[in-house]
Amino acid sequence: MKDELLEASRKLVEKALSEGYDEAAALLNQRKTVMVKLANSEPSVVQRWKDLILNLYLAKDKKILVISLSPKSLKDVEKAIKELLSVADKLYESPFYAPLPEPGEPTKLDLVDKKLLEKLEDPSDIVESIIETAHRERIDYVAGMIELSYNEKALATSKDALFYEDSTSIQTYLRAFAGEDGSGQWSLGSRKLNMRKIEETASIAARYAVDSRNRVSIEPGVYDIILSPMVAGNLLRLVGMMASAFMMFMGMSMFMNKKPGDKIGSEKLTLIDDALNTELPGSTGFDDEGVATYSKPIIEEGVFKTILHNSKTAAKTGMKSTGNAGWITPHPWNLVVAEGTYSLDELIGEVKKGILVTNNWYTRLQNYVEGVFSTITRDALFLIEDGKITNPIEKLRIADTLPRLLSNIDALGKTSYDIWWWEVEIPTRTPYILIRQIHTSKHTV
Amino acid sequence: MLGLEDLVLYAIDYARELGASYAEARYHKNDNFSIVSRNGTIIGAGRELKEGIGIRVLVDGALGFSATNKLDNENVKEAVEKAYKLAKAHARLMKRSIEFDNTRVGRAKYSVVERKLFTSMSLDEKISIHRELWDIVSKAPSGSKIPVFFLNYVESIEEKIVANSDGAFIMSRVPRLTIFYNVVVASPQRGSIQRFEQLGASGGLENLEEWNLYETLDRDVKIYEEILYEAKEPPRQEVDVIVGSEVVGLIVHESCGHPSEADRILGREAAQAGMSFIKQDMIGERIGNENATVIDDPTIPGSYGFYLYDDEGVPARPRYLYREGIIYEHLHNRWTAKIYGTESNAASRAMDYASEPIIRMANTYFKPGDYSFEELLEDIKYGVYIKSYMEWNIDDVRWSQRYVGLEAYLIENGELKGFVRNPVLEVTTKAFYSKVDAVGKELRFYAGTCGKGEPAQGVPVWFGGPDLRLRNIRLGVAPK
Repeated sequence: MKDELLEASRKLVEKALSEGYDEAAALLNQRKTVMVKLANSEPSVVQRWKDLILNLYLAKDKKILVISLSPKSLKDVEKAIKELLSVADKLYESPFYAPLPEPGEPTKLDLVDKKLLEKLEDPSDIVESIIETAHRERIDYVAGMIELSYNEKALATSKDALFYEDSTSIQTYLRAFAGEDGSGQWSLGSRKLNMRKIEETASIAARYAVDSRNRVSIEPGVYDIILSPMVAGNLLRLVGMMASAFMMFMGMSMFMNKKPGDKIGSEKLTLIDDALNTELPGSTGFDDEGVATYSKPIIEEGVFKTILHNSKTAAKTGMKSTGNAGWITPHPWNLVVAEGTYSLDELIGEVKKGILVTNNWYTRLQNYVEGVFSTITRDALFLIEDGKITNPIEKLRIADTLPRLLSNIDALGKTSYDIWWWEVEIPTRTPYILIRQIHTSKHTV
Repeated sequence: MLGLEDLVLYAIDYARELGASYAEARYHKNDNFSIVSRNGTIIGAGRELKEGIGIRVLVDGALGFSATNKLDNENVKEAVEKAYKLAKAHARLMKRSIEFDNTRVGRAKYSVVERKLFTSMSLDEKISIHRELWDIVSKAPSGSKIPVFFLNYVESIEEKIVANSDGAFIMSRVPRLTIFYNVVVASPQRGSIQRFEQLGASGGLENLEEWNLYETLDRDVKIYEEILYEAKEPPRQEVDVIVGSEVVGLIVHESCGHPSEADRILGREAAQAGMSFIKQDMIGERIGNENATVIDDPTIPGSYGFYLYDDEGVPARPRYLYREGIIYEHLHNRWTAKIYGTESNAASRAMDYASEPIIRMANTYFKPGDYSFEELLEDIKYGVYIKSYMEWNIDDVRWSQRYVGLEAYLIENGELKGFVRNPVLEVTTKAFYSKVDAVGKELRFYAGTCGKGEPAQGVPVWFGGPDLRLRNIRLGVAPK
């Protein structure tokens, strides 16, 4: 479909310019996706999508319009372009307006896995293998999902960018249940189909389910906490998004009153926006404005290094685009946490009194600017006493601030996991992370 | 090329021809127009149009779903074939066949009528709402600043044709108006306070008058500034708490509506939003005292979660989820109804054409009682009134939950006495519904976008209730 998509995107830009817009960009995303959702160790639904989403950026007299369409025909798109012209006339100049950038020279990435493509038609044997692997442990049942996808994107801009990229991706996560109270969850995100890694995902979930049976209750308080890659991915997603210049403008960022060069965390923390990592499913060679992407640290050894920009937020602050467009909101592509030197057992060995948190969900903030948040743990949770796991424990909340969380990082594991699921929307490669002296809470009645 | 109605019927006929025991097709169009501003200046305008067909089939006891936005015979035929083949390929992995119950389905056409059409106001006027509100918000504080006032104004129209092989044929049109805003009030000495709010309803621009944002934002921002400067730590001892209707609405959504979703109880969402403390045999068990009645009703006129038939073609009605403290009825679709040996109560909804219909809430509320706010207040010697919130969460079985108050007051001898900063109400579901000691008479609703499913689907809902009084609660404090 490469040529058709490129041609369609080019024509849309042409059409927009002929209608009277000063600038236009057309981003076409076509996907073929199959997803099998699992519950009670069987498929609950098999879903499949084939669709084309057209995204258009239009500017006239420095006014900005953005359109997202899944139209039933190209005529509908042309109609929408025309209709919005009258809207553009009434709008005011956008404070975020900047001309579309000159196209870059995107790195050509090899993002397609042929083995994965073959499984798009029928992934049932992978599903069977996942269920079977999880049940090698003494679990009662497993739930989760596996999604395989083939995506094509074509971008044309009025600055003569004309780029195409196709890619495959796999996302899977499994949650296993054992006994009255045991449960464990793990996930995987990748560009490539790797049965060993998929089975490892099922095994980790099942192992944690078995190990977390017969939980005891502990009092909330201040504990050293080891975040599993699932939890680290969830919390660092917030940090990664807060590095977006737009989030800073919108009052949705703890970096709102910070600047690059400020120390914002432990020197043990380095967080990278790894756009060109071809193993992680967020990878891409060019952003939505046609700027070449590159990998860059957001935080390096505890110092805030890079605000993520598109050309608009960059122009507004006298900076250069970092290749992270979003036409309106810049965002990270993949997050990678630099590894430390500890095995998981060694991290546990560093803790006198603490908790190993393997999963969490429902993270919400009281105040983005100050980073005040809480999140509720789920699945396996273990008490650590004098360097050893002593008991699986009942749920607690982590209720603290993001600045303190980043500052109190004390050690990182030497093995990373590629996480991507419901609660970790940005593909994230991270090890286990030990954080000192974090507040927890639970219901009082 | 077939028209949309014929295309939907063609998809069903073809799926049946292939051998599906059940087939359903839904033409679904979501058309949104939005204007976004920061500090009164328009950042841009946006249009989002999603239009396509979603198809579901049951084949040998497995469920297949397929969606396409290429609305011609060839692509719809392919979508049907893919749904059929994928379901068939996975049928061998099924331990228990998926079947639907025999709930009567309908044939109907309905639409929500805007009293004031979106087109009745010029674009200039819509733009000026952003400027005028910024003018009010930016001038409201006396000492602090408003670094950010973000406003998103969204007009949307949702149109559907739902048909299935059991004879349902429902056409519907629901327009909605939504406003989201985020305001930050900041002082160099006192830090910041932040508030998000979503307002939403079905209908047209008449809702703007109802919301009266010009007055409420002015009042609210002034109060946030006062909180920033004056609020004290919440009391540490056990106190009586008035939970404001906004918080009550969220609580019933989280700790009654979600755990009453029968698909969640049966484990279908186990790896995503989780399961439920309610187990399959718990209808009739006590969860609270006789004051606790929670209803979910899709048919409330003007509501954000309004519908008359669900996406399986079943007619909607109010559902009493908790009734006088008893777990009374769950939210069902035709699959869970079959397992429970009951009938669907029309809770099946899909966000858009690309989404499978799943069990959702519509408009969930705590049934009002007969206390005025003054009566709730008058015999509290020492307590806290939590009017609004920012942070909240609940565990994945909907038992342990936390709500952090934003606008909150100390109560002394039946009177409001100044502000309390970030009081934390952290309770179990049973404790909350058991401790309701008095129920206000004024029912208010709040809008939200409820997330569930895989891929995640956000659907419009209302949640609400009156103000409630709880006795003997130990509040926590949010971290600094």
